[in-house]
Amino acid sequence: MSETRTRTVRTDYLARVEGEGGMLVKMRGGRVTDVQLRIYEPPRFFEAFLRGRQFTEAPDITARICGICPVAYQMSSCLAMESLAGVDVGGQLRALRRLLYCGEWIESHTLHVYMLHAPDFLGLSSAVELAQTSPDLVERALRLKKIGNDVMRVVGGREVHPINVRVGGWYSVPSKAQLQGLVPDLEWALEASRETVRLVAGLDFPDFEQDVELVALDAGGEYPIERGTRLVSSRGLDFPIDEFFDHVVEEHVAHSNALHALLRARGPYLVGPCARHALHGGLLSPQARAAGEDVGLEPVVRNPFRSIVVRAVELVHACEEALRLIAAYEPPAEPALEVVPPAGIGHGASEAPRGVLYHRYRLADDGAILDAKIVPPTSQNQRSIEDDLFAFVTRNADLPDDELRLRCEQAIRNYDPCISCATHFLTLEVERS
Amino acid sequence: MTCCVIGVGNEFRGDDAVGLVVARTLADDFDGAVRVLECEGEPVSLITAWEGCDRAIVVDATQSGAAPGTIRRIAAHAGPLPASLSGSSTHLLGIADAIELARALGRLPARTIVYGIEGASFAAGDELSESAAAAAERVAVAIRRELEVER
Repeated sequence: MSETRTRTVRTDYLARVEGEGGMLVKMRGGRVTDVQLRIYEPPRFFEAFLRGRQFTEAPDITARICGICPVAYQMSSCLAMESLAGVDVGGQLRALRRLLYCGEWIESHTLHVYMLHAPDFLGLSSAVELAQTSPDLVERALRLKKIGNDVMRVVGGREVHPINVRVGGWYSVPSKAQLQGLVPDLEWALEASRETVRLVAGLDFPDFEQDVELVALDAGGEYPIERGTRLVSSRGLDFPIDEFFDHVVEEHVAHSNALHALLRARGPYLVGPCARHALHGGLLSPQARAAGEDVGLEPVVRNPFRSIVVRAVELVHACEEALRLIAAYEPPAEPALEVVPPAGIGHGASEAPRGVLYHRYRLADDGAILDAKIVPPTSQNQRSIEDDLFAFVTRNADLPDDELRLRCEQAIRNYDPCISCATHFLTLEVERS
Repeated sequence: MTCCVIGVGNEFRGDDAVGLVVARTLADDFDGAVRVLECEGEPVSLITAWEGCDRAIVVDATQSGAAPGTIRRIAAHAGPLPASLSGSSTHLLGIADAIELARALGRLPARTIVYGIEGASFAAGDELSESAAAAAERVAVAIRRELEVER
């Protein structure tokens, strides 16, 4: 790199969907002057599409926002409608939701850890290269992922976009025998997850820490997954989810059609595995806790590159929790509770694999959706991702452009943003003036 | 010969649903002799969906700049998808990536055909366009024909 007065590192995602996302880093004289992450955010478009639909349609429609976390969208929307109606879907109906959600965590975390993030650490350009150099690892990932899919198929009726979920519960519930059929595979998955923790803990991590406020749902004594009624933070925030917009403001930024979520009068915050782990690590399943301790995982992970280890620990948790739920399962007498929401505003939130997913709906008295508001985890993390990039590039400004670009992509993938699906086909543009 | 047809797409993203439409058109056509599946999630699951099949036909929407309704038939077992199509899915790791992953692992069916149908619009909530609907019909006919010939 020469004595550049202005240096621009830009990555543009190809036309997955036009304008889907990209990254721009501007430097002047070796100093970073600007970092912009451009994210295409489907929820905005779905919010408009939801208006006028019946409240019962929200789970099916919002499930199509993301191919990786349909269950998260289904659960948050169901919870919003149920809270407005004053209905608490508990007992085995809730246990089945948690089980379905465990399936999604297994699938999503496996995909991200092995197929998207691990190649970065191993100096490989993609999961395809990983399959060529370490086919056993990719085979393990495929089997783990399939087991997550199987949980979703048995509980949710279909592997992706489960069709069995409804406001109030389920269209039909599985038998004990059906769930028992998942046990041998889940036992294998539990062991494979523990191996995954050992594998990723041995990767090389850049020396990099960020001090940011961490936010996760509080699920009242259990590790938050399928629901939570309060949001808590590492700096003492604690408020019910129906006060979400009293504490969170969304800012329009020119370079992205996503909104940046910030904590009012506090600033950027972070949701996702590292936040859940920091705030609720003591509630992890015994084997998940042990797996973390065995590899010396710190109680509060401040190095975002180490999120891959936390994700692997949560994979252990999801497998062990699924086994626990199946062991305790008794088919409920009725597959669903009746939910008749009055006119008003309902709030729902759950922990998507990548963090808190908040939904708010305003309903008319005939159950039609007047207004929908969806705040996905990626828009909550976006400012923190940019801050990371800013700090990271500042410290590594002397790296060649190609190396810097790869490191930036890796830094973005630390947060498993929805754009991470557009992985590994970025173009780099360097401008010097 | 064990065979499957997999329609890939998103129900609520306009012409992105076209692969699903083709799968639904063919769902009852083969007396159970051909597995017909819909894939709405991320494409790595294709690798487990076609497990045990020596022949797979995948149908997906494309966004490559061609005229809406353009149909492409690609023998994916013979080589990677063309670059113009490899980034054109709205589905995460991408069909092209899933195919290459399967090829690297020896999990690609011996005959893997990809039908791409060029979409006109992928906006949330859009109906299927006329050009995509017409192309879906033509692709269904073509798939029926090529499977009948070989059975």
